[in-house]
Amino acid sequence: MLSFKVQLFSVLKSKLKADSIDLETPEGISVSEFLDLACVQYPTMEPYRRVMRLAVNQTYSEDAHILQDGDEVAIITPVSGG
Amino acid sequence: MVADESRKRLVQLSYDRIDIPAAYQFLQTPGAGGVAVFVGTARQWTGERETLSLTYESYEPMAFKEMHRLIDTADGKWPIQRVCLLHKLGEVHPAEASVLVGVATAHRAEAFVACRFLIDQLKAQVPIWKQERLTDGQKVWVEGNYPSKSPNS
Repeated sequence: MLSFKVQLFSVLKSKLKADSIDLETPEGISVSEFLDLACVQYPTMEPYRRVMRLAVNQTYSEDAHILQDGDEVAIITPVSGG
Repeated sequence: MVADESRKRLVQLSYDRIDIPAAYQFLQTPGAGGVAVFVGTARQWTGERETLSLTYESYEPMAFKEMHRLIDTADGKWPIQRVCLLHKLGEVHPAEASVLVGVATAHRAEAFVACRFLIDQLKAQVPIWKQERLTDGQKVWVEGNYPSKSPNS
């Protein structure tokens, strides 16, 4: 098993009243599987699943990318800067 | 303001007010024949809805990297001589600047197009979010559009 501290921002941070969540995953998990699992464990996030992107080590990642132990992860909902 | 080593680009995320004259001064260079500056400001009225203020938050280390990445992309497309990308964080009141994009090029056409590219991409890709504080006391996170293109396009 791998364990991640997942950073949250904006609407997810408000909904979960936390700026990060802990997530344990099997080894070899992909980005899309990771986001699915996060929504199962934290169902409050489920309505946002379709628009979530995962940043891995501060870079947007592809759905099929495999996470490694020690990766810095953050869930990015649609941004609204500017 | 501190420029990076090349003295060509200025990228900032700051809780301080955006210093527009300083940004323009940074953009000035004898080789440029045009400087395009876009300043995004907080809008008080959206239809019938009145905004008291906006509050910006960011995933700062990634936002900073994305801003540099967008400049790298723009730099590959147009002959940019100076560029700055500045975003304010924290509270912004109506009429105040929240973002500044400036580009200096030899000819105006490239300055306009590169400036437009950078603000459009910033709004789609850089992890910064705004929350609106409305007159009825509500605080609402503004959700952007989910980008249809891949982040590297």
